Amino acid sequence: MAETEESTGPPATLIDPIEMSKLDTKFREEIHSMPNGEELSACFACSTCTAACPIANIWKYKPHQLIRMILLGMRDEVLSSDEIWLCLTCFQCQERCPQKVRVTDIFFDCKNLAAEEGKVPPNIVGLGKELLEKGQLYTVTADWEREDMGLEPDVPGLSVDGLRNILKETRTSKLVDGDK
Amino acid sequence: MSNPVLIIGAGVAGMTAAVELADSGIKTILVERQETVGGNALDLYKAFPTDDCFYCFEGNRWRPGIRKCFYRSALTDQPNISLRMNSEIGDISGAPDQFSVKLKVGPGYVNPKKCTMCGLCLEKSEAFRLLSPQCQPQAVVYDPTKADDGAKQAEEECPTKAINLGAQPTEETVQVSDIVIATGYHEMQPVNVDEYNYGKHPNIITQLELAKIIDPIGESGGVPVRPSDGKPAKRVMMVQCVGSRDENYYPYCSKICCIFALKHANILTQERDDVKVSVVYMDIRTYDRYERYYRESRNTGVEFVRGRVSLIEPRKDDTLDITVYDSLLDKYLKFSVDLFVLSSALEPSEGTDKLIETLGIKSTSGFVGMVDPASENEVVVGDHIYACGAALGPAEVPESVTQARAVVSKILQSRK
Ligand SMILES: Cc1cc2nc3c(=O)[nH]c(=O)nc-3n(C[C@H](O)[C@H](O)[C@H](O)COP(=O)(O)OP(=O)(O)OC[C@H]3O[C@@H](n4cnc5c(N)ncnc54)[C@H](O)[C@@H]3O)c2cc1C
Ligand code: SF4
Ligand code: SF4
Ligand code: SF4
Ligand code: SF4
Repeated sequence: MAETEESTGPPATLIDPIEMSKLDTKFREEIHSMPNGEELSACFACSTCTAACPIANIWKYKPHQLIRMILLGMRDEVLSSDEIWLCLTCFQCQERCPQKVRVTDIFFDCKNLAAEEGKVPPNIVGLGKELLEKGQLYTVTADWEREDMGLEPDVPGLSVDGLRNILKETRTSKLVDGDK
Repeated sequence: MSNPVLIIGAGVAGMTAAVELADSGIKTILVERQETVGGNALDLYKAFPTDDCFYCFEGNRWRPGIRKCFYRSALTDQPNISLRMNSEIGDISGAPDQFSVKLKVGPGYVNPKKCTMCGLCLEKSEAFRLLSPQCQPQAVVYDPTKADDGAKQAEEECPTKAINLGAQPTEETVQVSDIVIATGYHEMQPVNVDEYNYGKHPNIITQLELAKIIDPIGESGGVPVRPSDGKPAKRVMMVQCVGSRDENYYPYCSKICCIFALKHANILTQERDDVKVSVVYMDIRTYDRYERYYRESRNTGVEFVRGRVSLIEPRKDDTLDITVYDSLLDKYLKFSVDLFVLSSALEPSEGTDKLIETLGIKSTSGFVGMVDPASENEVVVGDHIYACGAALGPAEVPESVTQARAVVSKILQSRK
């Protein structure tokens, strides 16, 4: 077992480990102190959440891995991951977690933190923009369906102006503007 | 009148059996090869499942009413117990119920009935040592290999004339009706498990060594320190299943190492200043009520890494860089730690194999095996031969005590 100098040469193996000292040890505390994070540290990596998730199969980081990354302090990786945005918010993971970790809610917390740092994927920003401009996400387009059912073309009483005004003052608007 | 009962080993199990038999009017001979009774439990500071401190037990010298007395104080006072310290078992012959056993009794340099632990001899010579304030018998011990003039002086000046430097080992043969094997366990010294470098770096230690370091009556007053320089250890890493569940060493799970590792992790994170603990594991097996330790340690921020150690690199400042494969993330993580603690396998005490052979009894993975594994009589290991505690395999204190009481009950029934 030879002593290693402070500045090592090429690694003795091909392993390129994550330096724990470079991770953000406060991240765990940050999430823990948010309204949903109380039970975060109770996670024992059983992966029930991943087993429950209908979509994680196509994810690079599975739900139990994301929780684990939060615990280890991999702040950047978690907050810039696509997964937190791809989550369907179906709450299956949270329902089943044997340690009462609020997995889905924690991902919401992560999304909020990511948004504050402007780390929102463009398609999500696009949705925000749509919401701001139209006051609704899905506008009624297939008029013939309404017609077939004998309904008038416009949804009666639908008023999106109020909502649009409210949204202008929210963080959604700041996010979208920030993107411009 | 029946012959006495021979009990081999004065750990928690042997002491319980001896005192409870003695209290029931049965004469016992308790043979211990060390200089103090108590066995492995003597080195443990706090004990699961209750987190009581092991020492308070001894602080209560007056037996009745002590909730968890380890019976130590009774050993020298109970007339039905004859205690043979520094002693080993020789040949065993005869038939069940009338065994003839040769005892090799070590020299009695210090008479425990006379020593008052005044400390005079300790100042005169390094050959005398007080093993621990709660040692039993309550006396200093003498190491003849360190004999010097100071020791001779102490012999003369000892106020109670307790010292006899010329004491010689003796042999005696005793007739006994039953034999109780309470020889306990030994913590494996993992020198051969190459990947952990045990024995090659001072800051790579075992759990039992850590227990001694964090013991408040130890040299550092309970502060976790690095053996290399005595400086406080701020980052501690533990690794589970060293030599256990490993066909190259011991195939069995040592059963309690997860619990005592977490006990230590909790003491370090909750009662010591600013210590970070990581635990590298394959499975955490905190059976039964001990799951509480696991949950508590997670809550207090102990970091768990499922996986194995790939590389240990010592640094000039005596820290260790440790690369661990995290199988849950499928990533390698690199830590820098002050202390690396191995949860090493609990193996049979030295000499167990010989005892098993001499008595012609069964062995289970090297520990004493029961006569009929299908029966519920786990303490019956032969005709008039019993075993209890960790001699039967890794066990915690409550289990050891329960088994000792089962032995007592069996012997009492057999004598009705
Ligand atoms: C790090 C660590 C922490 C632990 N923490 C806890 C805890 O918190 N709570 C708990 O309940 N348990 C704990 N344990 C387990 C505990 O140590 C055992 O349950 C207990 O010591 C078993 O007692 P025993 O009498 O069976 O064996 P031992 O304590 O091993 O005693 C056996 C005795 O027999 C003697 N002996 C052996 N062979 C011979 C021979 N041939 N002739 C004469 N004498 C002999 C030995 O010298 C020894 O004194 C811990 C163990 C470890 C390793
Ligand atoms: S189900 Fe709960 S405890 Fe299990 S890995 Fe997911 S978050 Fe952790
Ligand atoms: S809430 Fe999200 S992470 Fe949880 S199961 Fe549903 S999709 Fe998966
Ligand atoms: S001087 Fe005598 S009485 Fe005092 S500690 Fe030593 S042996 Fe015991
Ligand atoms: S108790 Fe834990 S550390 Fe010990 S052998 Fe079993 S699983 Fe491994």
